Amino acid sequence: MTLHDKDLKSGIPDLSSTIPDLRHVRLDRLAELGDSVLANSIALYLQRLEDNGTPVYRFNSGIQA
Amino acid sequence: MVTNHGLSGEAFTALASGDGGPAAVQHLCDVQYSKHLMLLHAVATEAAGAHPMSPEITASRSGYEILVRVQEASPDTLAWLLQLPHIGAWAHDCLESKARGQSPDFGYMATAAAAAAVRAGVQFELDVPVRDGRVLLPGLGYFHGIAPPDSWVRLRSDGEHLTVGTFTGARCSALVPNEASSEPVPQWQGTYTVRAVAEGQTWTVLLETTDQYLNRFALPMSAAMTAEDVRGWQSRIQSAWEVLVRHHGWAAGSIAAGVSVIVPLTPGSETGSDSATTPAAFGAIATSLPPDPVFLAETLVHEVQHLTLCGLQDMVPLTKRCDEWVYAPWRPDPRPAGALLQGIYAHLGVARFWGTQRHVETEPDAILRAQVMFERWRSMTESATATLLQTDCLTEAGTWFGVMLRQRGQRMASAAVPADARDIARQVALNHWLIWQLRHAAIDATAVADAAGAYQHGEPLPDRALPEARVQKETRKVDSAARSHLLSMRFLEPAEYRRLSDAGLPGLSEADRFLVSGQASMAVQAYRDEICTASEPLPDAWAGLAVAIHLLAQTPLLPAFATRLPFMFDVHTRLVGQGMRSDPLELAAWFA
Repeated sequence: MTLHDKDLKSGIPDLSSTIPDLRHVRLDRLAELGDSVLANSIALYLQRLEDNGTPVYRFNSGIQA
Repeated sequence: MVTNHGLSGEAFTALASGDGGPAAVQHLCDVQYSKHLMLLHAVATEAAGAHPMSPEITASRSGYEILVRVQEASPDTLAWLLQLPHIGAWAHDCLESKARGQSPDFGYMATAAAAAAVRAGVQFELDVPVRDGRVLLPGLGYFHGIAPPDSWVRLRSDGEHLTVGTFTGARCSALVPNEASSEPVPQWQGTYTVRAVAEGQTWTVLLETTDQYLNRFALPMSAAMTAEDVRGWQSRIQSAWEVLVRHHGWAAGSIAAGVSVIVPLTPGSETGSDSATTPAAFGAIATSLPPDPVFLAETLVHEVQHLTLCGLQDMVPLTKRCDEWVYAPWRPDPRPAGALLQGIYAHLGVARFWGTQRHVETEPDAILRAQVMFERWRSMTESATATLLQTDCLTEAGTWFGVMLRQRGQRMASAAVPADARDIARQVALNHWLIWQLRHAAIDATAVADAAGAYQHGEPLPDRALPEARVQKETRKVDSAARSHLLSMRFLEPAEYRRLSDAGLPGLSEADRFLVSGQASMAVQAYRDEICTASEPLPDAWAGLAVAIHLLAQTPLLPAFATRLPFMFDVHTRLVGQGMRSDPLELAAWFA
């Protein structure tokens, strides 16, 4: 059994995402969120853009080498 | 108080295991709503702070105000808009443009707002850009022939009728995607739509051929489809949907929940088939038209796996910044760890698809294809996840995910596959891996020189340890297309393969003919002769020789070809360069 397998034995914990839940927020109130989670999340998103670019995942289902 | 979207450990595990189903995909769609709203706000904030004023900035501000009213009147309509992949792709492009110091396309905000207002029946008036002579309403369609190209035109609506510049008379309720029941509207082209139905399950998907923000793939969007082309797509999608609903329900539900747009691509060649997804446009799959419904069904499964993982990674990053490039069994080029993770996830879905499909097919050729595809992709899981987990590119959650992917693959490992299909899959996989090594593994030059010197002087290999190898884009040029094509043709196009086989497999070398037709001993000898008599090193013959050696029942040379192929090839090249005779089998025996 590897270390990774052992970690999984205790189960995966609940995870918090980097995206704020805006489903019940009015558009004209978004600005009021200011430097809270919204600004932070946008900054994280921009950082991810810089780190990873935008990968396009391509699949050649035709004959491959 | 706003909190972040969460994901239960149970849902994370279900997604990793491929058992998330439509509920998990719907959760990801909800998150995409928030993501797109967040990005929309980021673009609006940029526009609000931009100087000097321009028509684009004015349009953006007006558009945002209209969206506020749309949300008040019809929250579902705003949700419809924000879950369009068009919006994600455009907002993403705006932020990228800003990062590059370029001016974002603020004007698109107005076209998006107009589409939502028309759909919601909200009164509005604003100017929108005309692009390529079209007034676009994302997700609905476009007006054409009304305003000069690359100009601006004023839209006015009382909530029931829309006026476009001086063109009047379009009822808002008629401005919908193009379906058989659509009421014709002059100068209006609704976005082509497919409503696929099978056994009571419906999947409605747009065929997007207009929006520039969904035309960002390696192949161009099929922008000029004829009515016959559209009918061809509709028919193929309907047939693929029937395959999915009847036999692959786990995927059908996810596709219906998560895929709202197909971007038809113009293929690069008559026989090639290509598909793609991007995390910037969640909900869209781009693809050329696959050759039959089963392949389209497989493509949809493959791409919805990518989309699902894109959505998950928006929530929980699984990879981190990393410069490691590694082998991916489905690609000819080295891939970053994040792409390897994506590919493993997608191909696990593909393996699952063929694992079922092999029991569905009734024709011998189709059964062989399904069996080989199943074996090809299930067998890569162990090595690919091992490669992934050895990188230093995964976050903690990414490591959990990788381990669960490996376990998912292991659950498929015990399924029985006929020997002929297993052999073909093994040969194709070996050929791919060995060619990749020769193309991309760069061996330390000092180690090569030392080994060549020792071989020349009849001394043993100086260091049994493998020398340092780097992954490079192109270390050696290997032209293996003809053999690779024939190896794959055996299961992808068996009838054509039989025809060529009867004709003596024209276009292949003698050694390749032996290999492809399963005569491994003869192939080994023929490759050896090719290599020994050539005036320069032949990397492709070395790759073929290595495949043939693997296919021999027992040979002491196997370990050398399995683990030291690029090293041996470089030593051989050095010896030949020094005018020495170098027999590949003698060299391998020395390495063994």
